[in-house]
Amino acid sequence: MMGAFMYNSLNIYLFLGVFLLCCGILGLIFRRTLIGMLISIELIMNGAGLNFVAFNRFAAPDAPDGMVFTLFIMGLAAAETAVALAIIILIFKRFKRIEVAGLEEMKD
Amino acid sequence: MSFGEVIFVLMAVVTMAGALTTVLSASVIYAMVGLVVTMFGIAGIYVYLHAPFLAMMQILIYVGAITILIAFAFMLAGPFYNKPKEWTTGGKFITAFLVSFFSFFMFFGFVQGGPWGEGKAGTFAISTKDIGRALFDRYALPFEMISLLIVVAIIGATMLALFSRGEK
Repeated sequence: MMGAFMYNSLNIYLFLGVFLLCCGILGLIFRRTLIGMLISIELIMNGAGLNFVAFNRFAAPDAPDGMVFTLFIMGLAAAETAVALAIIILIFKRFKRIEVAGLEEMKD
Repeated sequence: MSFGEVIFVLMAVVTMAGALTTVLSASVIYAMVGLVVTMFGIAGIYVYLHAPFLAMMQILIYVGAITILIAFAFMLAGPFYNKPKEWTTGGKFITAFLVSFFSFFMFFGFVQGGPWGEGKAGTFAISTKDIGRALFDRYALPFEMISLLIVVAIIGATMLALFSRGEK
């Protein structure tokens, strides 16, 4: 498992990626507000990007494919955050709350 | 333990502590600050993965853009000081904790046992020039698609915020 140094083995990066994914799942289940759930989704996306870069470094070190995909993930996260925050502000203007438990109706 | 290993362990601990702060804090503003700390830790880990351009982009995009956007959403979406409660009931927390705990061990056992072909470490020399060349050569179509998606998302967000009826 251990390489010459600790940061030269793949497993420690995979451990960090899985840790970020599970923190995101935990937050996504038990957070009450929509913004908290959005922040948890950001954590999950970062775990995925870390895995891409780690696999690019250790398993396929010939071409920068994993790094390019991590850049695409960052762009997708920016677009997703913009749309989700517009929807959250709209929900707040309409229902005066952003807890998920109070949002039962989609349309009047 | 060399100096580089100490810095690496520090970065990993900062990332994990920031992620736990993001998830477990009782207020959403503390969660946002924890997200910033996590992003800085991940940027440091990208430096250890020989990707300094990605570390720079991580700090620019996540800390500079997305977190500021979330902070503006706090300010626009009303007063948080009179409802700072973020915790749900205890049963839901225990359920969420069990789900993430077991999925952590399951996923980690899966990825640790995989035949990833670990080897050729130390022969990694990909520079920013290579990333740029791949972006405009092999991944030109996905690159343009991402830019189109971002334009559509921004126009859609503006239309949603401006022209909807809002409160009835």
